[in-house]
Amino acid sequence: MGRDKSSELLPGTLDLLVLKTLVGGRMHGYGIALHLKNISEDVLQVGESSLYPALQRLLLNGWVKAEWGASENNRRARFYTISAAGRKQLDAERNEFNRMIFAIQQVLES
Amino acid sequence: MKLFRRIDYWLHHREREAELAEELEFHRSHGDSAGLGNGTLAREDARAIWIWPWLESVGQDLRYAIRNLRRQPGFALLALLTLGVAIGLNTSLFAVFDAVALRTWPVKDPKHVVKIFSMTQQGPRGFSLAEFRYLRDHSKTFSGIVAVSDARVRFGWEAFGKATISAFVPHDYFQVLGVQMERGRGFLPEEERLEQPENVMVLGYALWRDHFGSDPEMVGKTIRVSEIPFIVVGVAAEDFTGSVEAGAEQLWMPLPAVLSFSMNLEDTRSFLTNPHDCCSGIAGRLAAGVSKEQGRGELEVLSRQFHTENRLDASAVGLTEPTLLAGHSKRKSILPVFALMFTGVMLVLLLACANVSNLLIARAAARQREIEVRRAIGAGRARIIRQLLTEGLVIAAGASALGVALGWKLPAYIFVLIGDGPGVNLTPDFSTIGYACALAAIACLAFALAPALHGTRPKSSQAKLPLRSFLLGSQVAISVVLLLGAGLMVAGVQHAHEHDLGFRVADVNVISIDLPAHSYDAKRLMAFSTQLQHELESVAPGGFGITAREPLSHARWNSFAFRLPGESDKTGHDAEYQQISAGYFGVLGIPIVAGRNFESGDEARNAIVINQAMAKRYFESQNPLGKSIITGTDTRVIVGVMRDAYLTGLDQLVPLFFQPFTGEETPHVLARADFPGAADLVAQTVKGLEARARIQSVPLSENLARILQPMQVMAGIAGALGVFALVLAVIGMSGVFAYVVQQRTKEIGIRMALGAEPKQVIALVLAGTARAAIIGLAIGYVAAAGGAKLLAEYLYGVSPYDSRAYFEVAAILAISALAAAYLPARRATRVDPLTALRVE
Repeated sequence: MGRDKSSELLPGTLDLLVLKTLVGGRMHGYGIALHLKNISEDVLQVGESSLYPALQRLLLNGWVKAEWGASENNRRARFYTISAAGRKQLDAERNEFNRMIFAIQQVLES
Repeated sequence: MKLFRRIDYWLHHREREAELAEELEFHRSHGDSAGLGNGTLAREDARAIWIWPWLESVGQDLRYAIRNLRRQPGFALLALLTLGVAIGLNTSLFAVFDAVALRTWPVKDPKHVVKIFSMTQQGPRGFSLAEFRYLRDHSKTFSGIVAVSDARVRFGWEAFGKATISAFVPHDYFQVLGVQMERGRGFLPEEERLEQPENVMVLGYALWRDHFGSDPEMVGKTIRVSEIPFIVVGVAAEDFTGSVEAGAEQLWMPLPAVLSFSMNLEDTRSFLTNPHDCCSGIAGRLAAGVSKEQGRGELEVLSRQFHTENRLDASAVGLTEPTLLAGHSKRKSILPVFALMFTGVMLVLLLACANVSNLLIARAAARQREIEVRRAIGAGRARIIRQLLTEGLVIAAGASALGVALGWKLPAYIFVLIGDGPGVNLTPDFSTIGYACALAAIACLAFALAPALHGTRPKSSQAKLPLRSFLLGSQVAISVVLLLGAGLMVAGVQHAHEHDLGFRVADVNVISIDLPAHSYDAKRLMAFSTQLQHELESVAPGGFGITAREPLSHARWNSFAFRLPGESDKTGHDAEYQQISAGYFGVLGIPIVAGRNFESGDEARNAIVINQAMAKRYFESQNPLGKSIITGTDTRVIVGVMRDAYLTGLDQLVPLFFQPFTGEETPHVLARADFPGAADLVAQTVKGLEARARIQSVPLSENLARILQPMQVMAGIAGALGVFALVLAVIGMSGVFAYVVQQRTKEIGIRMALGAEPKQVIALVLAGTARAAIIGLAIGYVAAAGGAKLLAEYLYGVSPYDSRAYFEVAAILAISALAAAYLPARRATRVDPLTALRVE
């Protein structure tokens, strides 16, 4: 059973994942959730109560932009695109994340 | 900017929330959302991103700021008081300015009401009542035009020589201005008929409340005004305190009723009807959809027609806002005084900001470690600056509350000191409160931003002292300017007191006579006055001086345009003049320097006595005796020249001439104080002629005191500002010294351990800051000397470069600086080397 694992992620990681997902092109909320689930082979099942606050936070910080468009089956959907500031943030977060993972590994392997 | 996106969200929050709901709906419609949680909660959480963190952080900042201030109550109180008083002073002045210059009359829809002026070469003037009627009857762009004249009337409760001001208005005055009636009605058209005056009146609310106990049955009652019965037809609404003239109208009567109070019916009729008899203030309400310019254009055309018909010089028409000061005759002299006072209080505010700023820097230094810790755990510089600004804002908010309170109470109190009921409404309105808040906000940025930027700068680039030195220097400079201004004004008042006026002020009494005016027409008054003069001169020849208006009188003396024989009509010469009896010069101790005093028969001879100023200006080196001047159709012959004396006012000696007392005006009797029983003698004589008359004897020096009082109050205010500035400067300086000692405790300890003398240590502490203070002093002197010229008019002859004042200010500041340095310096000399080295 897929559970919403996002609340157990390290703080800020979801933002990082969403930004990374959007590097591939514009996507709507459901698409992002689906993408994360597929790529992670069902490990990351992001629920709406985590995903949408995260998207709003990204909007507030100016890291993504949103616009309305038509979905694959021609319904109105809101698409997100990563902004220049978002790409910069992604790089920074990514480095920070790698550092953190490395640190955790060091601890675990000691 | 994050903040902009946040504001944008708030502005469109309905749309944004709908979008969010639709988006979530879209998400859920994809079916596999079972167990994905509560949709409403998700929406709430997502929405909260925009508001909560910010609100929370603001709340946090506020809580933190208040906690911080409470931990240092001394600092908080000092900052609050300093800024509060400074903002209060500014707000007070603004409240007065607002009341006289900005606030419109308390009438309905004041946007469409304008004051109307005739723009003559001598400045804006009113109109003759005849012209007013012409404009009113022919204008189409105005829905109504009103005129207001006033006269002094008596109910009987007024103090000696005082009167109540009654306004005389056209019948539709209240309708045109849109004034509501508390009781009864306004006037009716038939009550404005000139040939048949009706004795009706409308009471002002204050008069009705204060003197008639708010009698609900007032309408219809008959009240005696100056002993003439008038029927009360209405009571005006409480908020209406008058319009065109002083803004202090207490009751209203129809225009023709002014005839009832006339001492000279012919003159008054002429005033009511003669096109050449100027001036009454007029105002009008523009008709719907008519612009000011259209209204002005039409009035100008009408006025030109009227002037041509009546062979008057043409003049343009001007319209102004319906405020007290607009078009006021004293506007030109009042505005500079305001500008001067605004400069003063603004300087005080600057000083207060500099002071609080300095205190904050000292605190920021003490909080350096706290700030470093906060940065280390991830607070951005902007975030810390915001926190520090919030502290400033808390102080500023408290200060503006204090400021509004002061602005509410202080102006009325000062008006009481000046002893002049201003007839203006001083209750603070929104613009006053807004002004106080705006000042507080600006002040907050001014005093809190610099220290916040300064204090959060990375340590490496921390400059040593320039901001503090700069602030200290400006404090000293501003104090110098304020103290010098105050010093000069106080010197001016002193000078005026000690000034030789050229006549005896100290031991002369003015005996005034109050006649029941309504029963005295010009003829009867003249009979009374000449009889009185005759009787007094026969009981005590030379003991009394009789005059129409006493020296330094409240009312201005009249002036006469004149020409010399052989000159054309339009020479522009004029001189003030007065009617006196022969005893006048003797009682006042003014010698005749050439020719002779008045003697009997001089009235018929048209003899005059002139002062030296007039002789010098118009006759230069010639001997004026026997020469003549021509006023109108009269040729007057100069029989004497008196020594110059400041009889009309303290500011300057103007050309003056005197003629024998004719009795056209109620006489004032001057008598030496060492003339025993003079007042009783006059009273007896007067009562013998008119039993109902009242008599009052007042020292002439009271006139001098009255003239000097506003000046004295101004000097007092300036002095208070100066002292306040000085106190702030001392606090500021002592703060800087204390800071220096604290910063260099370790160094001082080492020097002491190595055997430095206390003297050397003190020099070390003072050296850096003393330089800033001295530079500030120099700049202050330059600025003050530059600005002092503007004060010259208010100094009564003291030079704006009066060296004593400059020296005294320097001395005061030096002493203050020493006082400010004393405690910190003493602490520096008592630094225990061991303790000092253990610090940190």
